[in-house]
Amino acid sequence: MSAAANAKTELQSPGLPGSASKPARKWFLAALLIALLLFPLTNLVSGSMNYVLFMMLYIFMYIAMASSWNIIGGYTGYTSLGHNVFFAIGAYFSGVMLVYFKISPYLTAPLAGLLAMGVGLLVGVISLRTRGPAFIISTVAMILLVKITFDNWDYIGGSNGLSLPIPDLDVTISKFPPYYAMLLLAVGAVYLSYRIRHSKFGLGLRAISQDETKAEVAGINTNYYKILAFAISALFVGMAGSIWGYYLTYLRPNIFLTVLMAAQLVLMTLLGGKGTVAGPVVGAVVFILANEFFVSQLGFTELNIVATGVLMIVVLLFFPEGIVGTLKERGKLPQFLDWE
Amino acid sequence: MAFLEIQDLTKSFGGIQAVDHCTFSVEQGSITALIGPNGAGKTTVFNLITGLIKPDSGKVLFEGREITAKKPNQITRAGISRTFQISRDLGEMTVLENLVVQSPTRGFLDLFQGSILNHEYEKAMELLDFVGITRLAHEKAKKLSYGQKKLMEFAAVLMTEPKLVMLDEPAGGVNPALLEDIVARIELLNSRGLTFLIVEHNMDVVMNLCSPVVVMAYGKVIAQGKPQEIQANPIVLEAYLGEG
Ligand SMILES: Nc1ncnc2c1ncn2[C@@H]1O[C@H](COP(=O)(O)OP(=O)(O)OP(=O)(O)O)[C@@H](O)[C@H]1O
Ligand SMILES: [Mg+2]
Repeated sequence: MSAAANAKTELQSPGLPGSASKPARKWFLAALLIALLLFPLTNLVSGSMNYVLFMMLYIFMYIAMASSWNIIGGYTGYTSLGHNVFFAIGAYFSGVMLVYFKISPYLTAPLAGLLAMGVGLLVGVISLRTRGPAFIISTVAMILLVKITFDNWDYIGGSNGLSLPIPDLDVTISKFPPYYAMLLLAVGAVYLSYRIRHSKFGLGLRAISQDETKAEVAGINTNYYKILAFAISALFVGMAGSIWGYYLTYLRPNIFLTVLMAAQLVLMTLLGGKGTVAGPVVGAVVFILANEFFVSQLGFTELNIVATGVLMIVVLLFFPEGIVGTLKERGKLPQFLDWE
Repeated sequence: MAFLEIQDLTKSFGGIQAVDHCTFSVEQGSITALIGPNGAGKTTVFNLITGLIKPDSGKVLFEGREITAKKPNQITRAGISRTFQISRDLGEMTVLENLVVQSPTRGFLDLFQGSILNHEYEKAMELLDFVGITRLAHEKAKKLSYGQKKLMEFAAVLMTEPKLVMLDEPAGGVNPALLEDIVARIELLNSRGLTFLIVEHNMDVVMNLCSPVVVMAYGKVIAQGKPQEIQANPIVLEAYLGEG
């Protein structure tokens, strides 16, 4: 009967199930957040942390994107291989607003996210009529379509790209704005993912991923749920694109619109555990750090890609549901990582 | 005006005429049986009523309103709940979640409420208690035995406050003791006013529980009436013997 009693206490606060009963998680997350907020200050002391700050903001960005991708790819079970379209849309929207209207991307990023969401809604209405491999192909087609459009759109620089003005900041603090922006996006995206996981919406999405017909007959408007999930999964990806574009100060369709980039989101989510809250986070950290390690050892050759691929295979061999997913299934997930 | 009316429904798959100008109705408060040899088209009729497939012609009316063109989730929300012949569970979800996923949401903001609200928890536990599997509430559905899954599905369809419950072979593969339980539950719910449409091959169940009985063969309704009349009907006997 204790299991049932437990569930009831969780239900007292439907928004934050079990937060009271998992103190380790609460303290771990609070400490981690404070450490991440304070960390850039070390650069004021030593001035040599720019590389570390870069790596961290890069990881934050992928945490935000993988957590968002997980909403459609993990919870709902629809593998999108085209999510970098939303990234490119965010980057270009904020880039254009900066170049032509002199408005900072830090201000236009939320709009960029909403625009990406709007595009997600439109694309979703069409491509979510398909499922399985046909859906995957339709998302790849979305990349090609957007790339051709951007390549031929002179206003946004065409295939030559668009150069953005370089932010005028002292080098010790130049990484601060993108660092904090990406941290905010990562926290926001993970929180959104967590809230969805514990909502009626999330329950419906999980039902869809397991048996769509059954979900529909259970009374779930599966079309509406899927389209909404797809659109929501574009929101933080668009915002990340907007910040990243400004960081790069250079936008070009063939940088932003490759299938490889979308595939990375998929791979890191699988690595961490798709359909779990913590999975995309763990996956992004492990994937990017491993890749960085291989690059440092093997250089920017094809070898580092092979090494990352081998690592993926080995991990998935021992953790078929991803690191977090498999540990959870075996009941071995440390409490501080159990964000379900 | 009958509660549920099936009018002239027709559906073919390629060359197979699965349902052929099928017409019958279900009265409110009845336990109506839909029987017939294998391949007669019973499950296809269920799929047509619940909107999973669309008919080539004909229509379905529920409480006087046409529902033929509606989507399955709308039909469920209109008050028709069903189980599947081969039980379909959401295996990675708990038994409790399998029940709660059926409960209706209203409007956009409702979607972002907690996945299991207090009143839904209480209702689900009550229903699990009703079918006798409360202790399995927090198990993943895939861990359940075949019979337990049938009970879970039965409880789950009741979550939606249905007006009509359609069961596709509730007795199939279920042991006799469990079968008695299920039959008793159906009778109890029916005495409280719930209407049932049941596809079943177990003739003991059909003859003792259901009235009227509608008989299908080759996609057509070949007879309907009280169980005793059906048992004595030569056309029905021939349909079954012709098959065997
Ligand atoms: N999706 C489908 N595609 C092609 N043929 C189908 C499909 N569904 C049903 N059929 C065919 O339609 C006919 C009627 O099938 P249906 O499942 O409705 O029969 P049934 O009366 O439920 O049989 P049973 O008692 O064996 O469950 C059968 O010949 C079947 O093979
Ligand atoms: Mg059947």
